[in-house]
Amino acid sequence: MAISRRTLILASAGTLAMPYVARAADPIKIGMTVPITGPAAESGGFMTIGAKIGVEEVNEKGVLGRKVELHIEDDQTTNPGAVLAFSRMSGDPTMVAFIGSVRSTQVHAMAPDVLKIGKPMMIGGTDPALTHLGNRWLFRCRPNDSYSAKVIAQYGVETLAKKKWAIVHSTDAFGTGGMKALVESLKAAGIEPSLVQGYTNQQADFTPVALAVRQSGADVLGSYFTFETDLGVFARQLRQLGVRVPWIGSPSITNTSALNLAGASLYGTFGVADYAVDSSPAAKTFATKFEMQSKNPPDNQSSWAHDAVVVLGRALNDAGSTDPDKLRTAILAIRGLEGAEGTYNFDQNGDGLHGYNVVKNNSGKIVFDKHIDFQA
Amino acid sequence: MALFLQLLFTGLGIGSIYALVSLGFVLLIRAASVVNFAQGEFSMLGAYIMVIFANDLGVPYFIAIPIAVILMAAFGILFAGVVYWPLRHRGQLPVIISTIGASIFLANFVLATYGPSPQVLPPIFDNGFDIGEVYIDSQYLAIIVITALLVLLQYLVFEKTLLGKKLQATSQDKEMASLLGIPVALMVLFTFAYSAALGGIAGVLVAPVLFVSVQMGAVVALKAFAANIIGGFGSIPGAIIGGLALGVAETMGASYISVPYKDAFAFALLLLVLLVRPQGIFGERIAEKA
Repeated sequence: MAISRRTLILASAGTLAMPYVARAADPIKIGMTVPITGPAAESGGFMTIGAKIGVEEVNEKGVLGRKVELHIEDDQTTNPGAVLAFSRMSGDPTMVAFIGSVRSTQVHAMAPDVLKIGKPMMIGGTDPALTHLGNRWLFRCRPNDSYSAKVIAQYGVETLAKKKWAIVHSTDAFGTGGMKALVESLKAAGIEPSLVQGYTNQQADFTPVALAVRQSGADVLGSYFTFETDLGVFARQLRQLGVRVPWIGSPSITNTSALNLAGASLYGTFGVADYAVDSSPAAKTFATKFEMQSKNPPDNQSSWAHDAVVVLGRALNDAGSTDPDKLRTAILAIRGLEGAEGTYNFDQNGDGLHGYNVVKNNSGKIVFDKHIDFQA
Repeated sequence: MALFLQLLFTGLGIGSIYALVSLGFVLLIRAASVVNFAQGEFSMLGAYIMVIFANDLGVPYFIAIPIAVILMAAFGILFAGVVYWPLRHRGQLPVIISTIGASIFLANFVLATYGPSPQVLPPIFDNGFDIGEVYIDSQYLAIIVITALLVLLQYLVFEKTLLGKKLQATSQDKEMASLLGIPVALMVLFTFAYSAALGGIAGVLVAPVLFVSVQMGAVVALKAFAANIIGGFGSIPGAIIGGLALGVAETMGASYISVPYKDAFAFALLLLVLLVRPQGIFGERIAEKA
């Protein structure tokens, strides 16, 4: 059978184009490091559900005519585990972007490798320094602790009219960053804390910390706890030792896990929460979807991961490409995107949110009080 | 003074847990020359068994606790059969590696079957009370009293019964014990069962304080191992004194000097003891055997 030159050229062109046609139909891969094992394994479950809801939403609308696919690696709730998980994911050249950890210390550990790979990573760690490391690939889907500290200080000093502060914080990157920001915010209000007490994570007993708070004579307590189990042990021992002062905690004090563990010991406490179900219609919609997939109510562990996927979906469509530089420009250009955590307006540092909700633990139920926003 | 007494009470409470877990370590070192790095996981398993019976099935505590202890004793025999027995003639190192493997397996088995959520186990007694300015946490009090009773019981069994004499003979010289007609294998299995039951009791006692999680065993086991070295490697009184000393030292050090260095005080005590008395506080027996 004779083959004409025209047919040969068309067939050759078709064969050469095949990989590109197939590539266009391939899913867009997003890698996500999640604590599946280790002390934060429970929060990893929340994070996974939140991200999967985000994937369902962006796939309904479509992203560059392709499906988004989530690839999950276990970070083991450790820094080496996070670095290893990122290394496994980033070895895949078809990975378009990443969702990193909610724990600042792990983001710090992964940051040099993220810079080397040169692709966007959405993060949930709230240490303010993370978006000031000179690393152009880190984008935060939670408000950072300079905002949480301002809200804690403002609510305690102005709303509760308390002047004598005790601060309890984890000595890891998150807790230390939060403590420094809170001390700064209080100093700006003319207040020197009576007690600044650090602790190392995963303690069996918090009696010395609780006694230090009691002895300080503070009339209000601000806290930055990393792990809910630590928060639970501390809360119970604090109450047992008779300390009943108002307590305004960082977001972990509002987490479902902390509420389950600490129970009545956290009744009446206040928390700054990046996610509050009654804070916006988008937050309510997310809660409805989450509760269809989990017996627990959602918290920030799940909402930020959901928003990270939604932000990436929007940026990919805006960029019209998976090229890292174009994707970065598109993320930084996002304004007014309604997420479960709040309205995203990215600044040039990569911070998407700039305020916090204040909530109260009303006999175990988290009740929204108000949202405080700051200028980006 | 009130602060000192409060810290002393708390230190003794947490130290009692270290002592119980450390006691489990010591018994296996003496009876089978095994350093069991899964001892912490015995505590974790005991606590999860309690969660299943007390929380999930609603069995009253006074029934659930004996069930947990019996099941842990049975698990100790299974553990000996799988982890120790096949390697018993291959020297200490393979058995130690085997216990490390078992520790990782048990933690991940519980994680895979029960899930990652930490569980709350209500305290045995609901409320604490004040003596002067010192708050007595009923759970810590229960831990101290039960540990003391277990130590007393162990003393009576080991020193006053034929079973205890046989166990001691096995731990001191297996070949001689065998020549005297003591069923050495049975004694070793009994020690594994007893050690697992002790670990389980420690887990049940500490669970209301620490919550029940896959990591709870690791938090306690490292300190218990340090307590074992402080007290004298393989010494029963050493395990108890070492555990209590460690609990008190870290609590006092944290409160009077620095909370972030709490763990450092425990290990500073360990280094101090090793420098001044390398064999530990009650370490003569090991020196004699060597």
